[in-house]
Amino acid sequence: MRRNIFVLAALVTALALMIAAGIINFVHRRRAEEAKLRGMKMALVPDNAAAGDTPDAAAMEAAASDDDIATPLNGKTAPGFTLADLNGNKVSLASYKGRPLVVDFWATWCAPCKVEIPWFEKLHDQYASQGLEILGVSTDDLDQDDPAKLFTEKRDIADFVAKMHMNYPVLLGEDAVEDKWGIDAMPTTFFIDRSGKIVASTVGLAPREMIDADIRKAIGSGAS
Amino acid sequence: MKTVTAVVAFAMFLGAGTAGAQKLLWQTSGQGPQQLVRFLYPQQVTLPAGKPATIEIHFLVNEGLHINSHEPRQKSLIRTELIEAEPVGVTIAAVDFPPGTDYAFPADPSEKLSVYSGEFVLKMHLTAQRGNHQVAGELRYQACDAHTCFPPRNLPVPIDVIGQ
Repeated sequence: MRRNIFVLAALVTALALMIAAGIINFVHRRRAEEAKLRGMKMALVPDNAAAGDTPDAAAMEAAASDDDIATPLNGKTAPGFTLADLNGNKVSLASYKGRPLVVDFWATWCAPCKVEIPWFEKLHDQYASQGLEILGVSTDDLDQDDPAKLFTEKRDIADFVAKMHMNYPVLLGEDAVEDKWGIDAMPTTFFIDRSGKIVASTVGLAPREMIDADIRKAIGSGAS
Repeated sequence: MKTVTAVVAFAMFLGAGTAGAQKLLWQTSGQGPQQLVRFLYPQQVTLPAGKPATIEIHFLVNEGLHINSHEPRQKSLIRTELIEAEPVGVTIAAVDFPPGTDYAFPADPSEKLSVYSGEFVLKMHLTAQRGNHQVAGELRYQACDAHTCFPPRNLPVPIDVIGQ
């Protein structure tokens, strides 16, 4: 009887510890989740919001850096990739080292991306003298098993690029690269300095002035 | 000793519950990406065997999101489709999609899209032979909120069809 009571007491203690650990863990994760949602909400303020409502880059960065959840690649070296462009040429991220770079993950089916792309075209021209480069990475599905379908899909992307007058290289994304960069929503944009470090990123359509500020951050940072 | 066993079972039950509660909004379930549309009902229908019938399939788009309708206004947008797998004993004649409603992104109010949001209903016209069958369909959709779009996803739509 005494042994049973001892076992029961041990189990109740273990149970209480498990529940407490679970609650603490849940609260911690919940806070992380709220931080991420706050960061995303700030990134998604409409372009036509009143000037006073527009978050500045510092506020965005503060939100994004909370628990390093909102943009986990911020402050880290951009993961390398080598992807094909629309002509089949291989383009390596490493070849852009030493220049400020914007990497924009987009898709032809993404309406907010169509709002952002003309901004990138103008900003590309605006900051060309300071060495700014922009790479667009299409995340459209490509059927590698069906050559006819693959041809049509690539042609659709090329048509979109021509229609949008994109004046910077467009690469064809691959799942492994998108996984490494944590892409699960479009548009997602990374701002990379000359040393290859990601100094800012946005998920969703960010205000143009925020994109401009992030580009200036990439240009002004990482100079050797 | 029965008490001890009951406590152990209860602890395991609670432990499993706590682990389940730790899943966050953007985490995947391990069975693919998180769904942004829910299949509401019916899970099971009983139809007169051998006679054409129509069932209404209800879906709910998560709050704050929309998906393209079956007839989006731009070629590049991904339409909502129902991919049906006809089991032996069931013939699906057609699926009717509702018309979309107009939507414009705040950043581009001039461009109107045709979308579904909230609850929407598809009508499936089918004939089932006598017996139990399962129509294992999938709803293919592509969702966006006001500023962000998510890759296309397939939502399983399993419906038990009883012909009698």
